[in-house]
Amino acid sequence: MTDSTAPLVDVRRIEKTFGDNHVLRGIDFQADAGTTTVLIGPSGSGKTTILRSLNVLETPDSGVIRIGEVEVDFAGLPTKGKDAREPVSRLRAQSGMVFQSHHLFPHKTVLENVIEGPVQVQKRPREEAVADARQLLDQVGLAEKADQHPFQLSGGQQQRVGIARALALKPKVVLFDEPTSALDPELVGEVLSVIKDLATEGWTTVIVTHEIRFAEQVADQVLFLDGGVVVERGTSAQVIGDPSEDRTRQFLHRILNPG
Amino acid sequence: MRHVLRVLALMLLALVVVPAVPAGATPDDRPVVRVGTEGTYPPFSFHDSDNNDLTGFDIEVIKAVAEEAGWKLEFVETTFDAIFAALDAGRIDVIANQVTDNPERQARYGLSDTYTYSRGVIVVKAGTTGITTLADLKGKTTAQSLTTNYAKLATEAGAKVEGVEGFAQAAALVVQGRVDALINDNLAALDYLNTTGSDSIEIAGNAGDEVSEQKLAFRKDDAALLKQANDALAALKADGTLAKISEKYFKIDVTVANTGEADLSGGRAPRSDAEIVQDAAWPMFKKLLIATIPITIISFALGLVLAVAAALANISGSRILSGLARAYISIIRGTPLLVQLFIVFYGLPEIGIDLPSWPAAILALSLNVGGYAAEIVRSAILSVPKGQFEAASTIGMGYWQSLRRIVFPQAARTAVPPLSNTLISLLKDTSLLSVVLVTELFREAQNAASAAQTFFPLYLTAGVYYWVVCALLAAGQGRIETRLNRFVAR
Repeated sequence: MTDSTAPLVDVRRIEKTFGDNHVLRGIDFQADAGTTTVLIGPSGSGKTTILRSLNVLETPDSGVIRIGEVEVDFAGLPTKGKDAREPVSRLRAQSGMVFQSHHLFPHKTVLENVIEGPVQVQKRPREEAVADARQLLDQVGLAEKADQHPFQLSGGQQQRVGIARALALKPKVVLFDEPTSALDPELVGEVLSVIKDLATEGWTTVIVTHEIRFAEQVADQVLFLDGGVVVERGTSAQVIGDPSEDRTRQFLHRILNPG
Repeated sequence: MRHVLRVLALMLLALVVVPAVPAGATPDDRPVVRVGTEGTYPPFSFHDSDNNDLTGFDIEVIKAVAEEAGWKLEFVETTFDAIFAALDAGRIDVIANQVTDNPERQARYGLSDTYTYSRGVIVVKAGTTGITTLADLKGKTTAQSLTTNYAKLATEAGAKVEGVEGFAQAAALVVQGRVDALINDNLAALDYLNTTGSDSIEIAGNAGDEVSEQKLAFRKDDAALLKQANDALAALKADGTLAKISEKYFKIDVTVANTGEADLSGGRAPRSDAEIVQDAAWPMFKKLLIATIPITIISFALGLVLAVAAALANISGSRILSGLARAYISIIRGTPLLVQLFIVFYGLPEIGIDLPSWPAAILALSLNVGGYAAEIVRSAILSVPKGQFEAASTIGMGYWQSLRRIVFPQAARTAVPPLSNTLISLLKDTSLLSVVLVTELFREAQNAASAAQTFFPLYLTAGVYYWVVCALLAAGQGRIETRLNRFVAR
């Protein structure tokens, strides 16, 4: 049912409530292979929840998410048991996640962090996984740190290892949840430049960020979320350069003119 | 994880199965009769300080009875206060430990013909005046094993009774002036005076005029064994065997009434504290190696498995599982280990679960450790940031894989110091195991102490053994902590 012209990521009518808080109110969006999608919006707008839903770290109450060949309809998903776990883990395997505060495994070396998924979960031969991991570490500029432990690295270096760990699983989509928000300002650049390289190399990415200038440079599409709905969407030139909605304008004004 | 579980299961199974297969079994169709005895009540039932063998007047009598009746004997050593419980629970078939006849015991047990006639005597600190008869004990304090006939005599005389574990302990309390007197068999008192060479206590008078009669005790429904025992005793009396055993220990025949004053001066020679410790040091060390340490290790390993299971159940989000886990933890932490040991060993047989000593000891200790360690494990797991679970999920790991590879190694850092405390406590808690008939280090010390009629040097020696092992464990803890802390920014 998917053909080569269908979008790689297809999100339809996603609803999610936490208790009384209706955080996602029917989110729809698509992303084509090789594109960069940036989600912006005030805190509480639901942008992080929709990103985490793509990796099923949050389970939507209803709606459909398809990445590549794997589609899950959350309305019909059982809450427990193998029938619930199996589709979730298949969908999860389609994406890799980079967290705001990296969540590297502190008891493992940089290299072990990167090969953990490929070797332990994907059961790939260790030598092959190590070779791939070294290449990825080289790509993020950390080849010489392979045998160190996370606590020996700077915040920016830790985040770049987090990116290598996500890429090592060879996901169809890489998800970034505010990847620079926890970093000291002088370390932000090195991480953004790695993400920018991924975009030019043809990776499909979905990024939640407050770095509007960065979004402007890399995004193929920008979604502005507020109150659990997509308020405005389009190219970065449209949404950031010339927003048509008041709420978007106010948000951009606040974030670009702090204080 | 699964591998570890399988190994542990096999270890437990081996413990249950191995004792059931007699080593080098030879065809022997004699019925096995299990004899309960203290092993700490000289001169009746004690361990010879030279070869550590169980011996004494009662031991020789029951051996003679067994030979006459065609029984094969197995000796089970326990404190007197647990001995009737063991008989009731069917863990032993007969008590050979100077059981004094009284109406309550007549009603409850099958008592044999008399094989010892003796008197109860009142023993006081040397130089005490004003205590010579039972009537003088009114308002005084005596030290007794609580389930003995002498404890009953003391209570009836109006004395307050402090419970003790045997004659040597009671004698020490008298010497130290912590109690006013003790009542015991005149033969036991004479043995004490002779063995210790002590002149700090003395026999002040008789506990009443009645001669007390000591008998073998069987279960009421075991009439066949009782009859065989009585036939054997009659035969042994007739052919002079009983008289011969008695004269060896007491110079007179105590197996018939009114034969004069016993003389125990030919018994065991007094030894110095150094000799006493020297004789007992190796047997105690052996018990440390073959009982105390293995029981500690196995119970700790099984307890950890239980603790992890209880901790995971507790945080599972399932109301039933977490309710069960919390009930388990609450019961274990809310009841004394001694009670748990009694329930597992003496209570479970009532519902048909009859575990031998070692498995019962390991089960009770494992459950105990599991209850205490569960909360340690739970808080250690919760100390691992939620992001670590998420990161593990994100790279595709399932629940167990995340726990094993990501969460447990990090939780260990938090859990090791309190778990080391639990392990060290467990090692020392094994000293309670004599109540479930396991002879470990401390029980061995008790045996040696009662044979020597003095326990301070031997308990001190046991203390040194425990301390050395605990110090080694603490050193091991330090090394593990260093290892686990190496990945954390300092």
